Amino acid sequence: MSVETISGEEYSVTYNDNTQSIKFDGSMRLRTSEEYAPINDLLLKAHDATPAESLLTLDFSSLKFLNSSGINIVSRFVIAARKQAHLQLKVIGNQDIYWQQKSLTNLQRLWTAVQIDIQ
Amino acid sequence: MAQSTSTSQIFGHWEAVTAVPTTTMSLDAAQLSAHWRRNSLSSDYWAAYAALHIPETVPAGWLRRDDVSYVLSYLLNELFENCAKFSAGPELAVHFQAWLLDERMVFQLTNHIKPQGERPFITLIEELLNGDPDELYFQKLEANAEQDLGGSGLGYLTLIKDYGIQFGFRFQRASGESTAVTVQAHVNLREPS
Repeated sequence: MSVETISGEEYSVTYNDNTQSIKFDGSMRLRTSEEYAPINDLLLKAHDATPAESLLTLDFSSLKFLNSSGINIVSRFVIAARKQAHLQLKVIGNQDIYWQQKSLTNLQRLWTAVQIDIQ
Repeated sequence: MAQSTSTSQIFGHWEAVTAVPTTTMSLDAAQLSAHWRRNSLSSDYWAAYAALHIPETVPAGWLRRDDVSYVLSYLLNELFENCAKFSAGPELAVHFQAWLLDERMVFQLTNHIKPQGERPFITLIEELLNGDPDELYFQKLEANAEQDLGGSGLGYLTLIKDYGIQFGFRFQRASGESTAVTVQAHVNLREPS
Protein backbone atom coordinates (compact mmCIF):
# COMPACT_ATOMS: atom_id res chain seq x y z
CA MET A 1 0.00 0.00 0.00
CA SER A 2 1.24 3.48 -0.73
CA VAL A 3 -0.07 6.97 -0.20
CA GLU A 4 1.11 9.89 -2.28
CA THR A 5 0.27 13.51 -1.45
CA ILE A 6 0.71 16.73 -3.37
CA SER A 7 0.17 19.79 -1.25
CA GLY A 8 0.28 23.55 -1.53
CA GLU A 9 -0.35 26.37 0.90
CA GLU A 10 -4.10 25.89 0.93
CA TYR A 11 -4.78 22.45 -0.51
CA SER A 12 -3.71 18.85 -0.64
CA VAL A 13 -4.44 15.98 -3.01
CA THR A 14 -3.85 12.46 -1.70
CA TYR A 15 -3.82 9.27 -3.71
CA ASN A 16 -4.22 6.06 -1.75
CA ASP A 17 -3.64 3.04 -3.98
CA ASN A 18 -5.07 0.66 -1.39
CA THR A 19 -8.49 2.30 -1.35
CA GLN A 20 -8.14 3.35 -5.00
CA SER A 21 -9.14 6.86 -4.12
CA ILE A 22 -7.96 10.41 -4.56
CA LYS A 23 -8.97 12.89 -1.90
CA PHE A 24 -8.97 16.65 -2.41
CA ASP A 25 -8.77 18.98 0.60
CA GLY A 26 -8.82 22.72 1.20
CA SER A 27 -9.05 25.43 -1.42
CA MET A 28 -7.44 24.76 -4.80
CA ARG A 29 -7.17 27.80 -7.05
CA LEU A 30 -3.94 27.54 -9.01
CA ARG A 31 -3.10 29.97 -11.80
CA THR A 32 -2.65 27.84 -14.91
CA SER A 33 -2.91 24.31 -16.23
CA GLU A 34 0.90 24.16 -15.95
CA GLU A 35 0.55 24.69 -12.20
CA TYR A 36 -2.07 21.95 -12.13
CA ALA A 37 0.25 19.54 -14.01
CA PRO A 38 1.42 17.61 -10.90
CA ILE A 39 -2.21 16.99 -9.95
CA ASN A 40 -3.05 15.96 -13.48
CA ASP A 41 -0.09 13.54 -13.41
CA LEU A 42 -1.28 12.06 -10.10
CA LEU A 43 -4.77 11.52 -11.56
CA LEU A 44 -3.31 9.76 -14.60
CA LYS A 45 -1.02 7.66 -12.40
CA ALA A 46 -4.00 6.56 -10.30
CA HIS A 47 -5.92 5.78 -13.46
CA ASP A 48 -3.18 3.56 -14.84
CA ALA A 49 -2.63 1.81 -11.50
CA THR A 50 -6.31 0.92 -11.12
CA PRO A 51 -7.07 -2.62 -12.32
CA ALA A 52 -9.31 -2.93 -15.39
CA GLU A 53 -13.05 -2.55 -14.70
CA SER A 54 -12.24 -1.59 -11.12
CA LEU A 55 -13.47 1.54 -9.31
CA LEU A 56 -11.45 4.73 -8.80
CA THR A 57 -12.97 7.29 -6.42
CA LEU A 58 -12.45 11.04 -6.59
CA ASP A 59 -13.43 12.48 -3.22
CA PHE A 60 -14.13 16.24 -3.28
CA SER A 61 -16.11 16.32 -0.03
CA SER A 62 -13.44 18.35 1.80
CA LEU A 63 -12.61 20.66 -1.08
CA LYS A 64 -14.10 24.05 -0.27
CA PHE A 65 -13.12 25.82 -3.46
CA LEU A 66 -11.97 24.92 -6.95
CA ASN A 67 -11.46 27.56 -9.64
CA SER A 68 -12.38 27.18 -13.30
CA SER A 69 -8.82 26.12 -14.20
CA GLY A 70 -9.21 23.29 -11.67
CA ILE A 71 -12.64 22.33 -13.02
CA ASN A 72 -11.01 22.16 -16.44
CA ILE A 73 -8.31 19.75 -15.18
CA VAL A 74 -10.82 17.43 -13.49
CA SER A 75 -13.08 17.53 -16.57
CA ARG A 76 -10.17 16.68 -18.86
CA PHE A 77 -9.40 13.69 -16.67
CA VAL A 78 -13.00 12.45 -16.84
CA ILE A 79 -12.97 12.79 -20.64
CA ALA A 80 -9.64 10.93 -20.84
CA ALA A 81 -11.02 8.13 -18.63
CA ARG A 82 -14.15 7.92 -20.79
CA LYS A 83 -12.04 7.60 -23.93
CA GLN A 84 -9.87 4.86 -22.45
CA ALA A 85 -12.84 3.01 -20.91
CA HIS A 86 -10.41 1.20 -18.61
CA LEU A 87 -12.07 1.75 -15.23
CA GLN A 88 -15.18 2.91 -13.41
CA LEU A 89 -15.24 6.33 -11.85
CA LYS A 90 -17.01 7.51 -8.74
CA VAL A 91 -17.21 11.12 -7.57
CA ILE A 92 -18.01 12.00 -3.96
CA GLY A 93 -19.32 15.47 -3.13
CA ASN A 94 -20.58 17.38 -0.14
CA GLN A 95 -24.14 18.73 -0.06
CA ASP A 96 -23.09 21.60 2.20
CA ILE A 97 -20.57 22.96 -0.28
CA TYR A 98 -22.71 24.83 -2.78
CA TRP A 99 -20.44 24.59 -5.84
CA GLN A 100 -20.37 20.82 -5.47
CA GLN A 101 -24.13 20.39 -5.59
CA LYS A 102 -24.27 22.76 -8.58
CA SER A 103 -21.25 21.75 -10.63
CA LEU A 104 -20.12 18.18 -9.83
CA THR A 105 -22.99 16.67 -11.83
CA ASN A 106 -21.46 18.27 -14.92
CA LEU A 107 -18.87 15.46 -14.77
CA GLN A 108 -21.66 12.95 -15.38
CA ARG A 109 -22.67 14.92 -18.47
CA LEU A 110 -19.13 14.39 -19.78
CA TRP A 111 -19.31 10.65 -19.14
CA THR A 112 -22.70 9.15 -18.24
CA ALA A 113 -21.04 6.15 -16.54
CA VAL A 114 -19.60 8.37 -13.77
CA GLN A 115 -21.28 7.64 -10.43
CA ILE A 116 -22.01 10.80 -8.46
CA ASP A 117 -22.60 10.61 -4.73
CA ILE A 118 -23.36 13.96 -3.08
CA GLN A 119 -23.48 13.20 0.64
CA MET B 1 -26.24 43.16 -29.00
CA ALA B 2 -23.57 45.84 -28.59
CA GLN B 3 -24.49 49.41 -27.76
CA SER B 4 -21.82 51.95 -28.44
CA THR B 5 -21.15 55.63 -28.01
CA SER B 6 -18.08 57.56 -29.07
CA THR B 7 -16.34 56.59 -25.86
CA SER B 8 -17.72 53.24 -24.79
CA GLN B 9 -19.01 49.92 -26.02
CA ILE B 10 -21.43 47.88 -23.94
CA PHE B 11 -22.35 44.19 -24.20
CA GLY B 12 -24.77 41.93 -22.39
CA HIS B 13 -26.79 42.78 -19.30
CA TRP B 14 -25.54 46.23 -18.37
CA GLU B 15 -27.13 48.51 -15.82
CA ALA B 16 -26.10 52.05 -14.99
CA VAL B 17 -26.42 51.62 -11.23
CA THR B 18 -27.14 55.01 -9.71
CA ALA B 19 -27.10 54.01 -6.04
CA VAL B 20 -23.96 54.66 -4.06
CA PRO B 21 -21.98 51.41 -3.95
CA THR B 22 -22.16 49.51 -0.66
CA THR B 23 -18.44 48.85 -0.87
CA THR B 24 -15.50 49.81 -3.06
CA MET B 25 -11.86 48.84 -3.17
CA SER B 26 -8.91 49.65 -5.42
CA LEU B 27 -6.07 47.26 -6.11
CA ASP B 28 -3.12 46.85 -8.42
CA ALA B 29 -3.24 44.07 -11.01
CA ALA B 30 0.54 43.56 -10.82
CA GLN B 31 0.24 42.93 -7.08
CA LEU B 32 -2.61 40.45 -7.62
CA SER B 33 -0.46 38.63 -10.14
CA ALA B 34 2.75 38.73 -8.06
CA HIS B 35 0.98 37.14 -5.09
CA TRP B 36 -1.67 34.90 -6.60
CA ARG B 37 -3.34 34.15 -3.26
CA ARG B 38 -4.37 37.80 -3.06
CA ASN B 39 -7.11 36.88 -5.54
CA SER B 40 -8.64 34.24 -3.31
CA LEU B 41 -8.08 36.30 -0.15
CA SER B 42 -9.88 39.29 -1.69
CA SER B 43 -12.72 37.19 -3.06
CA ASP B 44 -13.26 35.20 0.13
CA TYR B 45 -13.20 38.37 2.21
CA TRP B 46 -15.77 40.22 0.09
CA ALA B 47 -17.89 37.08 -0.29
CA ALA B 48 -18.11 36.68 3.49
CA TYR B 49 -18.68 40.41 3.90
CA ALA B 50 -21.50 40.54 1.34
CA ALA B 51 -23.12 37.31 2.54
CA LEU B 52 -23.88 38.91 5.92
CA HIS B 53 -26.45 40.90 3.94
CA ILE B 54 -28.51 37.68 3.85
CA PRO B 55 -30.67 37.02 6.93
CA GLU B 56 -29.80 33.99 9.03
CA THR B 57 -32.97 32.26 7.90
CA VAL B 58 -34.50 32.74 4.48
CA PRO B 59 -37.82 31.65 2.94
CA ALA B 60 -37.89 28.62 0.62
CA GLY B 61 -36.60 29.44 -2.84
CA TRP B 62 -34.01 31.94 -1.60
CA LEU B 63 -30.31 31.27 -1.36
CA ARG B 64 -29.02 30.64 2.14
CA ARG B 65 -26.23 32.81 3.53
CA ASP B 66 -23.62 30.04 3.22
CA ASP B 67 -24.66 29.33 -0.36
CA VAL B 68 -24.38 33.01 -1.29
CA SER B 69 -20.94 33.07 0.27
CA TYR B 70 -19.83 30.10 -1.90
CA VAL B 71 -21.29 31.60 -5.08
CA LEU B 72 -19.63 34.96 -4.44
CA SER B 73 -16.27 33.41 -3.58
CA TYR B 74 -16.27 31.55 -6.89
CA LEU B 75 -17.54 34.56 -8.84
CA LEU B 76 -15.18 37.12 -7.36
CA ASN B 77 -12.19 34.79 -7.50
CA GLU B 78 -12.76 34.24 -11.23
CA LEU B 79 -13.07 38.01 -11.77
CA PHE B 80 -10.01 38.91 -9.68
CA GLU B 81 -7.99 36.14 -11.37
CA ASN B 82 -8.97 37.57 -14.77
CA CYS B 83 -7.78 41.03 -13.69
CA ALA B 84 -4.47 39.51 -12.51
CA LYS B 85 -4.03 37.46 -15.69
CA PHE B 86 -5.17 39.80 -18.42
CA SER B 87 -4.41 43.35 -17.28
CA ALA B 88 -1.88 44.97 -19.59
CA GLY B 89 -0.60 48.36 -20.67
CA PRO B 90 0.42 51.40 -18.64
CA GLU B 91 -2.60 51.44 -16.32
CA LEU B 92 -2.85 48.52 -13.89
CA ALA B 93 -5.43 49.79 -11.40
CA VAL B 94 -8.29 47.42 -10.54
CA HIS B 95 -11.49 48.87 -9.10
CA PHE B 96 -14.02 46.77 -7.24
CA GLN B 97 -17.55 47.95 -6.46
CA ALA B 98 -20.52 46.13 -4.96
CA TRP B 99 -24.17 46.96 -4.50
CA LEU B 100 -26.07 44.81 -2.02
CA LEU B 101 -29.74 45.26 -2.87
CA ASP B 102 -32.97 43.67 -1.65
CA GLU B 103 -33.29 40.77 -4.07
CA ARG B 104 -29.96 40.85 -5.84
CA MET B 105 -26.37 41.91 -5.67
CA VAL B 106 -24.35 43.66 -8.36
CA PHE B 107 -20.56 43.45 -8.51
CA GLN B 108 -18.37 45.45 -10.81
CA LEU B 109 -14.69 45.01 -11.53
CA THR B 110 -12.73 47.37 -13.74
CA ASN B 111 -9.27 46.62 -15.08
CA HIS B 112 -7.25 47.84 -18.03
CA ILE B 113 -5.96 46.21 -21.18
CA LYS B 114 -4.12 47.39 -24.27
CA PRO B 115 -6.49 48.58 -27.05
CA GLN B 116 -5.34 45.73 -29.31
CA GLY B 117 -6.66 43.30 -26.69
CA GLU B 118 -10.23 44.58 -27.14
CA ARG B 119 -11.11 42.63 -30.28
CA PRO B 120 -10.26 39.09 -29.08
CA PHE B 121 -12.05 39.73 -25.78
CA ILE B 122 -15.15 41.10 -27.52
CA THR B 123 -15.20 38.05 -29.81
CA LEU B 124 -15.18 35.79 -26.74
CA ILE B 125 -17.85 37.87 -24.99
CA GLU B 126 -20.16 37.72 -28.01
CA GLU B 127 -19.71 33.97 -28.18
CA LEU B 128 -20.55 33.62 -24.47
CA LEU B 129 -23.54 35.95 -24.59
CA ASN B 130 -25.07 34.74 -27.85
CA GLY B 131 -24.56 30.99 -27.54
CA ASP B 132 -26.36 28.40 -25.43
CA PRO B 133 -24.27 28.34 -22.22
CA ASP B 134 -24.93 24.67 -21.54
CA GLU B 135 -23.92 23.57 -25.02
CA LEU B 136 -20.91 25.90 -25.11
CA TYR B 137 -19.67 24.70 -21.72
CA PHE B 138 -19.49 21.06 -22.80
CA GLN B 139 -18.14 21.93 -26.25
CA LYS B 140 -15.30 23.89 -24.69
CA LEU B 141 -14.47 21.14 -22.22
CA GLU B 142 -14.30 18.57 -25.02
CA ALA B 143 -12.13 20.94 -27.10
CA ASN B 144 -9.89 21.64 -24.09
CA ALA B 145 -9.43 17.89 -23.60
CA GLU B 146 -7.86 17.71 -27.06
CA GLN B 147 -5.77 20.83 -26.69
CA ASP B 148 -5.49 23.22 -23.77
CA LEU B 149 -6.96 26.47 -25.04
CA GLY B 150 -6.67 28.52 -21.83
CA GLY B 151 -8.72 31.68 -21.30
CA SER B 152 -11.67 30.11 -23.05
CA GLY B 153 -14.35 31.64 -20.86
CA LEU B 154 -15.00 28.48 -18.86
CA GLY B 155 -15.25 30.49 -15.64
CA TYR B 156 -17.95 32.75 -17.10
CA LEU B 157 -19.83 29.78 -18.51
CA THR B 158 -19.89 27.98 -15.14
CA LEU B 159 -21.23 31.16 -13.54
CA ILE B 160 -23.92 31.66 -16.17
CA LYS B 161 -24.92 28.00 -16.46
CA ASP B 162 -24.68 26.73 -12.86
CA TYR B 163 -25.43 29.91 -10.89
CA GLY B 164 -27.64 31.92 -13.25
CA ILE B 165 -25.38 34.97 -13.03
CA GLN B 166 -25.86 37.58 -15.75
CA PHE B 167 -22.93 39.56 -17.09
CA GLY B 168 -22.47 42.94 -18.69
CA PHE B 169 -19.25 44.30 -20.16
CA ARG B 170 -18.17 47.87 -20.87
CA PHE B 171 -15.11 48.92 -22.83
CA GLN B 172 -13.95 52.52 -22.47
CA ARG B 173 -10.91 53.83 -24.29
CA ALA B 174 -8.96 55.61 -21.55
CA SER B 175 -6.05 56.69 -23.75
CA GLY B 176 -4.30 55.61 -26.93
CA GLU B 177 -2.57 52.89 -24.93
CA SER B 178 -5.18 51.81 -22.44
CA THR B 179 -8.78 50.56 -22.44
CA ALA B 180 -10.78 50.24 -19.24
CA VAL B 181 -12.83 47.03 -19.18
CA THR B 182 -15.61 46.80 -16.63
CA VAL B 183 -17.35 43.51 -15.93
CA GLN B 184 -20.70 43.71 -14.19
CA ALA B 185 -22.10 40.59 -12.52
CA HIS B 186 -25.74 40.37 -11.47
CA VAL B 187 -26.41 37.82 -8.75
CA ASN B 188 -30.04 36.93 -8.12
CA LEU B 189 -30.61 35.96 -4.50
CA ARG B 190 -33.33 33.48 -5.41
CA GLU B 191 -32.35 29.88 -6.17
CA PRO B 192 -31.74 29.46 -9.92
CA SER B 193 -34.56 27.32 -11.34
